[in-house]
Amino acid sequence: MSHPSTPPAGPTATPSGRREGRADGVLEIELAAHAPQGRDGEAPSGRRRGWRPGRVREVATHNGVVMNTITWRDRLRRDKTLLVMTLPAVGLLVLFAYVPMLGNVIAWQDYSPYVGIADSPFIGWDNFVRVFSNPQFLHAVGNTLLITGFQLVFFFPIPIMLALLLNSVVTPALRTSIQSIIYLPHFFSWVLVVTIFQQIFGGAGLVNRLLAQAGYTGFDLMTNPDTFLVLVTSQAVWKDAGWGIIIFLAALATVDPAHYEASAMDGAGRWRRMWHITLPAIRPTIILLLILRLGDALTVGFEQLILQRGAVGPGVAEVIDTYVYYQGVVNGDWAFAAAAGLVKGVVSLLLVLGANKLAHVFGEDGVYRKS
Amino acid sequence: MVTAVAALSSVAVLAACGGGGGTGNAGGDGEAVYALSAEDTPNYVPLDLVEADFPGVDGSAPGFTSIPDPLVAAVDSPPGSGGSYTAMTPLWGTIPPTDGNAYFDAVNEAIGTTINFQISDGNTYGDKMAAVLASPRDVADWTTIPSWNVPPRFNDAVESIFADLTPLLAGDAIEAYPNLANIPTEAWQACSWNGKIYGLPMPVEVGLTDYALYRADLVADQALPTTPEELIEFAEANTGDGAWGANDLWAVATAMFGVLPSQPGWEVGDDGALVHRVETPEYRAALEWMTELYSSGAVHPDAVADNQGDAGTRFEGGQVVMTSTGLGYWHEALTRNRPANPDFDIDVLPLFGADGADPVIYKPKGAAMCSFLKQTEDEAQLTELLEVANFLAAPFGTEEFQLINYGVEGVHYDLGADGLPVATTQAQQEVQPSYIFLTGPPAVNAKPDLPDYVEKRSTWAAANAEFVTEPLFYGMNIAEPNQYASIGQPFADLEKDIVRGRASMADLDAAIETWRSAGGEELRTFYTEIYEGLESEGGSASS
Repeated sequence: MSHPSTPPAGPTATPSGRREGRADGVLEIELAAHAPQGRDGEAPSGRRRGWRPGRVREVATHNGVVMNTITWRDRLRRDKTLLVMTLPAVGLLVLFAYVPMLGNVIAWQDYSPYVGIADSPFIGWDNFVRVFSNPQFLHAVGNTLLITGFQLVFFFPIPIMLALLLNSVVTPALRTSIQSIIYLPHFFSWVLVVTIFQQIFGGAGLVNRLLAQAGYTGFDLMTNPDTFLVLVTSQAVWKDAGWGIIIFLAALATVDPAHYEASAMDGAGRWRRMWHITLPAIRPTIILLLILRLGDALTVGFEQLILQRGAVGPGVAEVIDTYVYYQGVVNGDWAFAAAAGLVKGVVSLLLVLGANKLAHVFGEDGVYRKS
Repeated sequence: MVTAVAALSSVAVLAACGGGGGTGNAGGDGEAVYALSAEDTPNYVPLDLVEADFPGVDGSAPGFTSIPDPLVAAVDSPPGSGGSYTAMTPLWGTIPPTDGNAYFDAVNEAIGTTINFQISDGNTYGDKMAAVLASPRDVADWTTIPSWNVPPRFNDAVESIFADLTPLLAGDAIEAYPNLANIPTEAWQACSWNGKIYGLPMPVEVGLTDYALYRADLVADQALPTTPEELIEFAEANTGDGAWGANDLWAVATAMFGVLPSQPGWEVGDDGALVHRVETPEYRAALEWMTELYSSGAVHPDAVADNQGDAGTRFEGGQVVMTSTGLGYWHEALTRNRPANPDFDIDVLPLFGADGADPVIYKPKGAAMCSFLKQTEDEAQLTELLEVANFLAAPFGTEEFQLINYGVEGVHYDLGADGLPVATTQAQQEVQPSYIFLTGPPAVNAKPDLPDYVEKRSTWAAANAEFVTEPLFYGMNIAEPNQYASIGQPFADLEKDIVRGRASMADLDAAIETWRSAGGEELRTFYTEIYEGLESEGGSASS
């Protein structure tokens, strides 16, 4: 392996990644204080923010365990600079994320954009009742979950496998070029991706024309509702699998080659090394991404699906996002769409929290952990 | 007073929204008006400048194959007062540059008012419209909305976003704008909401607005179909070798089988009760025919994939022999393709009914599109824009019409030996119809540079005039109660599913049942009350 020797864990391997700029010595001390979370010297949790080395050392040598001896006021004074630096981001977040969220109030209104939020009458939970009693919405939820489930099995592992494969390519130049080639489709827009698929696999596409010339009857992959699930997943793989490997490659880069050498000395073969060293090293990353994916479980490629909805029909291609779009924007039923969107948002939040909790139960860090 | 008005007009209807026929009590919120009263209707003062080579029959557009010389000036001097306004319009074609466009500059200069266009793709205009109107501050000063893109709750939208033009145009007030007064009454009815004039019409000819065109140059020696069955055979016969018989032909199916228009979509059934479009046997028959067409394999796969945006490209490229489209596309395609391929030719399919019956053409709304002026405190702005509209509505045979449709002589066209304009390359880039979507003169078939087209289209339209019939509630814009705004939506998807074999007629029955229970019956009651209101006033809503 030609990896340069890296510190035990890079920022990608520790999801919360707040350890930049700290001396390694301090790290070790903090690790000692948190022993239960750090494992085998890699991926310590690094949750404490902005500790000055001096103070950490002081606390650590003083007691060894006690962490919260400083008051809230002290912490405020200590973190002043950092807090000021976060203010612009917080401001933007409030302005562009939280203030617009107030608009969700239309979910409880008989809202008309021409009358305005102030003058639209409140109608209680009627919109939510309509959402849950609407067969089309429930159908869209079913489609969404089906696509998510299918892609969890047939899309999510692919970047991991690709990363493992790429990682075993020794020549850096070759590895970089392979990487670049499979990244590239990520930068195509969905319109382009769908068009390319249509031009190749569509009824009047390249494959069918060649088949027709050879005297065979063709097929139309793009308008077949039965294979739509496979189609959208292969499009997603083609477009985004290359992009998805970046984060795994970074995680792989953090594995100390000494571990491989040591296990090789002990007679571990290729598969054993992968199973006992590589996979444990990227496990926190996999779990982090899995949780984030679960949070997105109800979001499955709006553009990709809306572009192909007409080709295969809403029976298989209507998902929550497209349904909300047609109902809300095209049909002007904004309040209903807001209610449906809210339901989706709440369920997604619960999914993330639940998955995070589950990760903690299994001893992983997940996305975040309360200190 | 109110009752007097109602009695005056056969189409002024006052009906209570919630239930119970409302009779002329002083205006409460529950009262809705769906048609223009007689006294608010602008006077119709026709202008006759040029004698048509192919006179219109019963409202079909007159055809002209030569340009009068000299042209008449319809407006003395630039009518505008130097203002600058934004206008949002659709376009089915390549969007031209708006900066440094000699055509736009020339027209703006001739008007004396600068119109800055925001041009959007016509195929997705409706989706965009809903979002634009939801943020009233960003609406352009002058906004075109095609009749098929009118968003839900539009009766609310006009009240809060657009200017009420009734005081400026009602009765003889319109005579201050002679070219606008030349626009027929039906066009104004189509652009009125809540009993007030809100829109400036782009008038449409009476007759079919959408039908099938075929590539006459590709099927020169073939016999044309005369029945729905032959039409499918015709499409099949022209499928093969990388070409397909047809794009989606829904517009043809609705005309052959006499399907009701989707708005408002009601007719009086045999038992006197109102029947909705989706409940009629004609709708079923049209769907069954379309299913047969699709299953024959003669529909281009991209059309099967519901890519309608490229329908014209496929047709002009010869990959498809028939396409169904708005007939305005016809001359645009000829103008686009003839310079490179002089043999390029398009003709319109003959119109026929199913099972030997006559076809039924439901009279289209009097205006294909209406354009709306944004509300403003400053009435001078409105009158300036009305002056501009008056300029744009100048009829065939005027300098203004020539400028708007052909651009500047010497820049966008040269006069040929026969006095007919020949477009330059610059025209192909710059002269994209945009002013005509704001407002225009009564529909004419005036493409003297395409005399063969004028003849074909005029004779076809005149021959079909006898099949035109007025649908129920003609001339009215009825705002349905909001809670039922989207119950008809599933049918748009279902139609596509059924014809492509993804859903069956049994699914249609189920969808109709769902529709009835989701508010279809309430809608029937709603429309029945309006219908009874019309009947009791002694007027007839339909022929």
